[in-house]
Amino acid sequence: MAINTTLTARLGSRHPILSAPMAGIAGARLVAAVSEAGGFGILGGGYGERAWLEQETAKLKTCTAPFGIGFITWSLAKQPDLLHMALAAKPRAIMLSFGDPKPFAPAIKAAGALLICQVQSEDMAREALGAGADILIAQGTEAGGHGAARTTLDIVPAIVDLAAGRVPVAAAGGIADGRGLAAMMMLGAAGVLLGTRFYASVECDGSEEAKKRICAASSGSTVRGVVFDWSRGIFWPAPFTLRSLVNDHSRRWSGREVELMHNIATVTADYVAAREAGNFDIAGVFAGEAVGLIHDIPKAGEIVERITLEAEQILSGRRNSATMSQAVAAR
Amino acid sequence: MWPDRRIIDLFKIEFPILLAPMAGAIDAEIAIAVAEGGGMPSVPCALISPEKAREQVKIIRQRVSAPINLNFFCHKAVDADPAREAVWRQRLAPYYRELGLDPAAPINTANRAPFDAAFCEVVEELKPEVVSFHFGLPEAGLLQRVKATGALVMSSATIVREAIWLEENGADVIIAQGAEAGGHRGMFLTDNIAEQPGTFALVPQVVDAVKVPVIAAGGIADGRGIAAAFALGAAGVQIGSAYLRCPESRVIAPARVALGQAMDDSTVITNVMTGRPARGVVNRVMHEVGPIAPEAPAFPHSATSLGPLKQAAEKLGKTDFTSLWAGQAVRLGREMPAAELTRALAGAALVRMSKLAG
Repeated sequence: MAINTTLTARLGSRHPILSAPMAGIAGARLVAAVSEAGGFGILGGGYGERAWLEQETAKLKTCTAPFGIGFITWSLAKQPDLLHMALAAKPRAIMLSFGDPKPFAPAIKAAGALLICQVQSEDMAREALGAGADILIAQGTEAGGHGAARTTLDIVPAIVDLAAGRVPVAAAGGIADGRGLAAMMMLGAAGVLLGTRFYASVECDGSEEAKKRICAASSGSTVRGVVFDWSRGIFWPAPFTLRSLVNDHSRRWSGREVELMHNIATVTADYVAAREAGNFDIAGVFAGEAVGLIHDIPKAGEIVERITLEAEQILSGRRNSATMSQAVAAR
Repeated sequence: MWPDRRIIDLFKIEFPILLAPMAGAIDAEIAIAVAEGGGMPSVPCALISPEKAREQVKIIRQRVSAPINLNFFCHKAVDADPAREAVWRQRLAPYYRELGLDPAAPINTANRAPFDAAFCEVVEELKPEVVSFHFGLPEAGLLQRVKATGALVMSSATIVREAIWLEENGADVIIAQGAEAGGHRGMFLTDNIAEQPGTFALVPQVVDAVKVPVIAAGGIADGRGIAAAFALGAAGVQIGSAYLRCPESRVIAPARVALGQAMDDSTVITNVMTGRPARGVVNRVMHEVGPIAPEAPAFPHSATSLGPLKQAAEKLGKTDFTSLWAGQAVRLGREMPAAELTRALAGAALVRMSKLAG
């Protein structure tokens, strides 16, 4: 069973399911697991930690399925040579998020890789298409980690209309199961990119405690803002903010960001110490609004299979209200 | 074919599309049109008297044979706090002077009465098929009387915890109201707007948490949105903004223009207009005083001092002080008769679903 879309055709994957390049925790192990299960894993190159990237791309040399490598664009601009290290690992695609992709497009194309651009507005989509993007990811505010203000339901059809069939559009933000994939295909997307769902997987390099907190969280337990970025001394360009699970630290500082700024030295010291100690009452777990749909920590390959099976049933109309009631009763 | 027929069968309607009860913006005329189009009409009672509610239902029943959804607010009424009122009036005083009004003149208080015994009698007398509430449910005695009439009870949840509470307290149908939705946030167990999920994250989580049918609301205004809501497990959709510019709505001409020019990022959640958070197209007072003003008096008392300003400005063709409640999908609204729009929405959703099934 497979869901074929313009996205799978372009990526060479069996299923239109991408794992997000979560900085530092979407390592080679997760990428290989997702890609080998027929999805498309993307390495979390993040801000560009050289040693980490070197180590993880080396591991990907044995991965036979197509995969991608992702970067935070504005941060990559500070050390552009990292792109060459990434391209040497022979990824099928480079994914760029948060910033102008144009300076990097020629090198990516010259290496024969695809350019995936994540966008949060029509203007960013136009910029990405202008730079030669082969695939767009339309990201809604529901997403965990960094993103902007507009919701998935709003941004996905808007970007699908703008792309007008020129490139496949995948949806990101608030999606964690087959219902989400089916819904996004109804909106016109050719696939989905999931972060939080793959965070809570065996192969993700996030801490066990963070994964457990994701499983325990419900809707209404995430918040988007600048508190966690500022607390670790990272200042993102507008309009990007960060969504994370609500914890003691976010409750303490949300709405009091100016005061946080006045105490930045002590807050940062405490925050870094808490992160080292794995104290998630202070350190942030960056997760999206779909946390309430996540209750277990399976292998990434099983996640890909579950989502495909469920979406396929919904899209084919084989799952209707009768079977849904049974599903509810079984829970 | 609709993948989930529970709402269609429960409400006995042709299409699982509910007209959102937009108080102040709609009346019997559009309700009739939506019913004629095969959708579920509603009568918002939050801003009208029991007598007016009777009259509205009578008009609808004379013209069309369809189920009716009577909608009420059930907030806990609080008395106006004179000190806060004074601060608020002072904050708005420059606008009074600008419009040639006396900032000290006495004003009738804003009349957003919660569901009470008088309205309950209306329900018992008219026996609407569905009674829906915003801000939770009324107290047990009143709710019992409503249920005794045979009406199905519906209310909105903005987080999973509220959905579970509603089911436990007698709701037969739950509306999952995502952050995109226009008008007042239906929240009643939380006051934190920042933590309320978007429609597409919320709907499947509510569907998993309750056994009753779930209706998706917020940001849905075209066929693909409806199809997507059903994929997430919704058994129906409630649509508001898409109907605002239909010829049958009661939206005044300058507000129609403002809504027509609105883009996806033109709406914000504000407490300026009534004292409770609600999403709408930004108007002058929201922009200059809010969108969130800590000094705004508690619901619905913020609206009291805005009343004379609204009236005076509207006479000049301005919507500076008029609530332009609308959701993030406002730009998808169409100037089309409501019956036609209802059928077009349903048709587009069905085509979408069958195409992907092929």
